[in-house]
Amino acid sequence: MRIFHKTSFDFIRFRKIAYAFSLFILASGMISLAVKGLNYGIDFRGGSEVLIRFEKNIDVSTVRSVLDVAGVSGSLKQYGLDRSFLFSTVFNGETNDLKALVSSALNDRLKNNHHEIVRVDAVGPSIASDLKWSAVKALMASLLAILLYVGFRFELKFAAAGVVAIFHDILTVLGLFSLLGGLFDFMPLEMDQSIIAAFLTIAGYSITDTVVVYDRIRERIRGQKPSEYERIFNESMNQTLSRTIITSSTVLLSVLVLFIFAGPAIRGFAFAVFTGILIGTYSSIFVAAPLVYDWLRLSKSPVHLRGNKVS
Amino acid sequence: MKNKRFNLLLIAFVTLVAVWSLWPTWRDYSLSKQLSSFKSAPDSLRYTLSNRDEIDSARKKSLKLGLDLKGGMHLVMEVDQVDLFEQKAWNKDAKFTAIMNTVRTKASKSDTKVLDILSGEFKNENMRLSRYFYDIRNSDQEIVKKLEKESEDALNRAKEIIRNRIDQYGVAEPVITTQGSRKLIIELPGVSDENRVRNLLKGTAKLEFRLLRDPEILVRTLDRLNTYLVQNLVAPPSAPVADASPSPSVSSQLKAPVPVPVPAATTARQASAKPLYDVIGVFQNGTAYTTERSKDYVTSLLHRSDIQALLPQDTELLLAAKPEIGKNGEKLFPIYLVKKTPELTGGVITEAKATFGSQGVQPEVLMAMNSEGTSKWARITGANIGKRIAIVLDGAVYSAPVVQSKIPSGNSVINGIESLEEAKDLEIVLKAGALPAPVRIIEERSVGPSLGADYIRAGILSLGWSFLAVSVFMLLYYKKAGIAADIALVLNIVIVLSVLAGFSASLSLPGIAGIVLTIGMAVDANVLIYERIREELDGGKALKSAIEVGYDRAFSSILDSHVTTLCAAFLLFTYGIGPIQGFALTLMIGTAASLFTSIVVTKEIFSFLLDRNLMTQKSFG
Repeated sequence: MRIFHKTSFDFIRFRKIAYAFSLFILASGMISLAVKGLNYGIDFRGGSEVLIRFEKNIDVSTVRSVLDVAGVSGSLKQYGLDRSFLFSTVFNGETNDLKALVSSALNDRLKNNHHEIVRVDAVGPSIASDLKWSAVKALMASLLAILLYVGFRFELKFAAAGVVAIFHDILTVLGLFSLLGGLFDFMPLEMDQSIIAAFLTIAGYSITDTVVVYDRIRERIRGQKPSEYERIFNESMNQTLSRTIITSSTVLLSVLVLFIFAGPAIRGFAFAVFTGILIGTYSSIFVAAPLVYDWLRLSKSPVHLRGNKVS
Repeated sequence: MKNKRFNLLLIAFVTLVAVWSLWPTWRDYSLSKQLSSFKSAPDSLRYTLSNRDEIDSARKKSLKLGLDLKGGMHLVMEVDQVDLFEQKAWNKDAKFTAIMNTVRTKASKSDTKVLDILSGEFKNENMRLSRYFYDIRNSDQEIVKKLEKESEDALNRAKEIIRNRIDQYGVAEPVITTQGSRKLIIELPGVSDENRVRNLLKGTAKLEFRLLRDPEILVRTLDRLNTYLVQNLVAPPSAPVADASPSPSVSSQLKAPVPVPVPAATTARQASAKPLYDVIGVFQNGTAYTTERSKDYVTSLLHRSDIQALLPQDTELLLAAKPEIGKNGEKLFPIYLVKKTPELTGGVITEAKATFGSQGVQPEVLMAMNSEGTSKWARITGANIGKRIAIVLDGAVYSAPVVQSKIPSGNSVINGIESLEEAKDLEIVLKAGALPAPVRIIEERSVGPSLGADYIRAGILSLGWSFLAVSVFMLLYYKKAGIAADIALVLNIVIVLSVLAGFSASLSLPGIAGIVLTIGMAVDANVLIYERIREELDGGKALKSAIEVGYDRAFSSILDSHVTTLCAAFLLFTYGIGPIQGFALTLMIGTAASLFTSIVVTKEIFSFLLDRNLMTQKSFG
């Protein structure tokens, strides 16, 4: 079976449209970030969360009103699609008290629908700021590492464009999280540690497709005149198009499985990685390589690519 | 040819090591399956006894499941360093208390080292640390160094004591580690009674024997507090705070305290002439108490520094740990005025035993002391016959018996305990010793066993489906070559699991997510190689040389993409905490292993097939 066999799309010609499209998506994400902000999960916000599961079906508003009447302050929302609810409140190191409060309120008023507290998470404010910092450090460090590695393997212009593409991918996903956050019951899209893991996965993977394209360009550009660059870029991208898409598809398949089967705890992560890889594939063709092309065109200096190819 | 043989040997070796490492996991699984298949208990017991060694060793070496899959608690506890440093100071004046309070608020908000905050505050105030700590001749640096040592010791001692408590309570395979200068990370798999464990861990277990002051002094003190509250609540701030008018003698009769709803308390108490006695009642015999509803308010009142300043020298008002039941069935918490300096502390306790008291219904804890404690205890009890000595644990009075006679044996008893379980827990904490400073739970993640079972099911489903989806895709798209990729994929998963088992790392739900992701990424190398081979075939190369060139040319992109993914996973592992590390770990192992499986293994398969003429141009789809 072969798809995208012997294509000849003029990617370079359409790059400006792609730039505009990317900028538009990015801008709307950023605007949403500024206006609506992000839905921070317990990891970064700090607080206590109790996951309650009922034996029989029950409406979220019923449980909410029961807890309200009992004077247990906090917010309750549906968790996943089964009879589970996530109750979140301010951080309380005395988890026993919190559990007792919730349990007695529910036992008193919902006697014939037995419930169980299946999970408790409590994150103190100092831990939350700790987690935030290590997330930022991990992200920055990985971007730097990728920049250095690709710079070492190819050339600074290639590496910089690759990192710009990573930024593009991560920021787009971040924007999506802000835009779509809290809209779906089955995936709350909260920013927590697992989303940072998703960002790092996206960063590591986004460059994969980019490197495949770069590799082909490097192979073909040697000794060519700058006037040939447009043709070489286009041909390289077309030649690698099918593998770019196939490699991404296998990962997308796995992540889709995670999204469907791995349960609500992983769903936000799976969503982030899925969209991230989708956008990463797009950006390696429409952002990373065209940026290098434009940069080479404008700087008018010949490329000095590392990594001699033994043919 | 030599190189080829080496590759074959390497593949065989890796496969063998992986299987060997996973063998105990398989044995553990089949043994427990066998065990659960027995119908009668004696049968299964006999089987367990005769195969004990094998069962034990299999369990020990098998792949561990993470806390989230097995159910259990993950706790991060913090040693209260501010409290520790306060203990170390030999001179605690108002200035010192003020500084320490600032330090406490700052420390709770940031993650800066408490010691840095402390020395910073002292610098701001232009004061030397030696004014309060250690020797007056010490320089600030010396003191900081000493305090640093002190807090390290405290953390390690706290770790040992908590380990003792957990061991005595009985948790299989607890993991306790320290992090930084003030944090303890505690992992308790398979804990069923979380509430009890929490109670067991958080108490300092600071046991003190303190002399009670006479009832008259308590009554006088309460009157003084009441007067103070009257002035400070009723009188406007501008009014001269003159000597109080003699307060009405309220202590002579039994008062029924009217519990004041705390939020609306200000207005209610402004109107009252006796604000304190709204929440504290005094019996005729001179004992004071508060009700359950007012307890929180009274506790906060007793913690106020202006209230504490009004107490007689070296005394403290403490609440009882447990309520007494009043005439009408209401719960009353006695209030005691005790000396601040303890007569004796829990350090002398050598043995503790939970038991039922003389009537056989009230649980209590018997304690024995070392020789030093015994002689001190004899002297103390001898000198205070007829007086009451309060037994205080973590700032709450358990009982305050009247000393009947001199106790020469070094025995003492804690009563006023509600249940035998609580008595048992007290026994554990007393035996393990007191923590050097209070510890607090600052992070907790606990998963119940039923949710853990759900996670396992979800994990297995995801693994199965993603393997199926990806391997079928590879077969459809690349035909025969897809088989090679699929075999490599199986080996890859086996390697990830075996590395986890071999290094006794545990598999968590995020870890499974990492493996699922690895499944999707591992075949990427094959895709890159196969696409290249197709290209070379299209270019008219012969099959054998197309395969050679394909592997050769694709290697550079494969390496680059793997290195970047490894970089990201490694950094995630370094900076990540807890569950995220599990994800990073499996992703790292999987990506690294796929360099081997997707390149070396598939290449060997192809050369095997090529040698036997089992491959054609069509084999790559």
